[in-house]
Amino acid sequence: MSMSEESFIESTLRGFARAFSKALISEQAASQPGLLQSFDPRVRLVGVMGLAISTVLCRKLAVIAALMVLAILLAIASRLSVWSLARRVWFAVLGFTGLIALPAVFITPGSRIVLAPVLHLSISASGVRTAALLVLRVETTATLTTVLVLCTPWAHILRALRSLRMPAEIVTMLAMTHRYVFLLIETANQMFESRLSRTVGKLTGPEKRRMTARTAGVLLSKSVELSHEVYLAMLSRGFDGEVRVLNDFRLKAHDYLGLTGFACAAGLAIWMGR
Amino acid sequence: MHIPDGYLSPSTCVTLYAFATSGWYTALKRVRRRLATRMIPLISVFAAFSFVVMMFNVPLPGGTTGHALGVTVAAIVLGPSGSILAVSIALAIQALFFGDGGITTLGANCFNMAIVGSIVAFGVYRLMAGRSEAGARRRALAAGIAGYVSINVAALVTAFELGIQPSLFHDASGVPLYAPYPLHVAIPAMMIGHLTFAGLAEAVISAGMVSYLQSCDIGLLRGIGDFPGVPSSGNFGESSLPVRLWGIVGLFMLCTPLGILAVGAAWGEWSSADLANPAMRAHIAAASGNYPPPATVPAGLQKLSAIWTAPFPGYAPRFVKSATFGYVLSAMFGVGLLLLAAMVATKIVKKTRKQESRP
Amino acid sequence: MTETSTPAFEVNDITFDYEGIPAIRGLSLRIEKGERVALLGANGSGKSTLLRILDGLCFPTTGSVSFAGNPLTPESLRRNGYALTFRRQAALVFQNPDVQLFNPTVFDEIAYGPLQLRWSKEDILRRVGETLALMGISHLKERPSYRLSGGEKKRVALASVLVLNPEVLLLDEPTVTLDPRSQSQLVDLIQQWKGTGKTVVTATHQLDIVEDIADRILVMEAGTVIAAGTPSEILADHALLLRANLVHAHRHAHGNIVHSHPHRHPHSHDV
Repeated sequence: MSMSEESFIESTLRGFARAFSKALISEQAASQPGLLQSFDPRVRLVGVMGLAISTVLCRKLAVIAALMVLAILLAIASRLSVWSLARRVWFAVLGFTGLIALPAVFITPGSRIVLAPVLHLSISASGVRTAALLVLRVETTATLTTVLVLCTPWAHILRALRSLRMPAEIVTMLAMTHRYVFLLIETANQMFESRLSRTVGKLTGPEKRRMTARTAGVLLSKSVELSHEVYLAMLSRGFDGEVRVLNDFRLKAHDYLGLTGFACAAGLAIWMGR
Repeated sequence: MHIPDGYLSPSTCVTLYAFATSGWYTALKRVRRRLATRMIPLISVFAAFSFVVMMFNVPLPGGTTGHALGVTVAAIVLGPSGSILAVSIALAIQALFFGDGGITTLGANCFNMAIVGSIVAFGVYRLMAGRSEAGARRRALAAGIAGYVSINVAALVTAFELGIQPSLFHDASGVPLYAPYPLHVAIPAMMIGHLTFAGLAEAVISAGMVSYLQSCDIGLLRGIGDFPGVPSSGNFGESSLPVRLWGIVGLFMLCTPLGILAVGAAWGEWSSADLANPAMRAHIAAASGNYPPPATVPAGLQKLSAIWTAPFPGYAPRFVKSATFGYVLSAMFGVGLLLLAAMVATKIVKKTRKQESRP
Repeated sequence: MTETSTPAFEVNDITFDYEGIPAIRGLSLRIEKGERVALLGANGSGKSTLLRILDGLCFPTTGSVSFAGNPLTPESLRRNGYALTFRRQAALVFQNPDVQLFNPTVFDEIAYGPLQLRWSKEDILRRVGETLALMGISHLKERPSYRLSGGEKKRVALASVLVLNPEVLLLDEPTVTLDPRSQSQLVDLIQQWKGTGKTVVTATHQLDIVEDIADRILVMEAGTVIAAGTPSEILADHALLLRANLVHAHRHAHGNIVHSHPHRHPHSHDV
């Protein structure tokens, strides 16, 4: 398989563009007046992660399928488009985990149920079951996580984590990293684009590798310098090492209701799926 | 190498989260001490950098591309503790915000890539770079090798975690509940991809970046430089203490299968079944100065021994075919539980101390 | 200039080395309270470094700096919580707004300063609301920093320091990334501060705004002040401007004549 000279740059650039579009979509989804959006971010975080944990704990296919249905209902109630969910999550998981799980259908020891037509390999019931368990579990948890993240702005997720006792410094670092990821992506974007436009003729393999490493190197130098400047900016506004935050989350009756709902669903799933 | 949710059982996730948490905690303390107020901006921006580097398509020999982790450069520039934090944060954002890699498996992913990756990368780099000059060509080579090795070690650990799932976690009829492939499938499957692509990508990026830094920003290779005029809080020389400690623990864990060599049961640790078995009784008598054991199993022993059945009787989890792996697994689980308990205890003690010292 | 009042800044013969290279050499100056001063110089003349020294972020290798009579040293800032007072009284707006916008949302950014200076929650919420309205960015309250345009970023950066109501404003090339409209809005803002008692020190190389934003100009070159005077004095001294690399002498046209001489590209109302 041969790749054109620029295509590795182009696929990197496409990855960058995808990151930006994800951020944008998340922002739009989070501002919709849907079910999840109506809950306190803490309730959302604990509730949805609780469902994800119960998915991992379940041992019965039927219960996991029920959780998947619940996840889809949550998505719909939160004004998310099922088609975009399919595009973002389900197809990707099917392509990755589905492919990984496929051989298990054939090689897992168990009673044979059918012989695959062209390949003359036996498919066992155990194989189908194990593949189905894996794929469905991954699909369900991925759906739940995506729904949570789409409906909640990053800043709110961080505030929720902080009030759930995550150390303030770690939350601050998560916040700052997220904020500067986009700046660095843009910087890297510009660097690659300018190299793309300047490249005349074919680049040899070593040249391509050197170029990629140099871009990474320049990005590193800029990043370290940026961190120095940010440090000064923090000092200038009074930073003295202690992280201080504004706490303004309050739980309403609606939130307690939601929390109860999530707990019941998760509890039921764990019970029935044990 | 990012493991999605659903591939690892809950107990595996919890164990690895425990390992990861102890790694994070140690790293945080060390970095806080070294960098003080500079920690937040430096680690955050470096984490952002790691995140972006993970998105690069690295062209490889043969016309293909691969993705690097950037953990090697992080370990070289920030030291292993800083690298553990920065790469973990990058992985957390990948998982939480971009949906790459699971959240129940975040502990596992951070352990494999950020913690094991950083420690191995730093160790190999230090070993191979020796006492050469910051600008020596040997350093770039060392970085490349460190990158290759660390990625493959991380992949091996990942493969191990995935490969033990079927034998440990299956339903009554033997159907695997999580990752479905046993070790002898999982390990080759994972290693092939990493020995060829990911390992090379990491090597290319690490060696290439060190080379670039040597010509354009050599200060970074000596540890992050101080901002001029601003009083610093110490330099970057990382002692190899955390590496040594983990190494020692790891070595002990690997040595546990030596227990298989022991014949029979330890003196005084006999079960009621042993006391009823004639062959064992002869053994017990021989080990006790030819003093014969009681003719019938004592009633008290019989009653008490029925109370508790261990999850891993004889250090061999049910259905683990190889006794060796059973031992190593039990060791991992035990260490993980101990670490978790120690951390919880430390937290509680710290909290009570804080409350006591308040007027 | 009265000799009896305490100056806002007094700098005595300072030098500053950056990685072995002298960035500031033998510089002394004195800025009175309420003055509007411009540090005029090309890139590399040391103006940014000087601003950072004035803001207590870097400390000179030799010489002394004092703010309102208090010496600015690492020790003095650590003592008695002086840093809390100083950080509120003096504020620096960085040239690159991305450096200054390190919080997740605009609201968080503006609230950061008051939060670090330990204001009460009510005070913070009230003051942040006021500042958002003052700068016309209330609609950007929940916006993440990476989704702001250049002009919006600058406004948020300004808001994040104005919220503290500082007595001294240090501006590092404030107009350089802005489009013409945002630039003129910023110049208007700086002009409004004339006579309010706020001390403003602006570092810039843009000659066309310097008359509007300053009453006194200090020309910098290679780390030291080479001239001082009123805007009209300095702007008329072409030889000085050429030496300081603030004007150029390329060939250009006046009607039918083509020649070269030191000039600057004028204001629209200049003839």
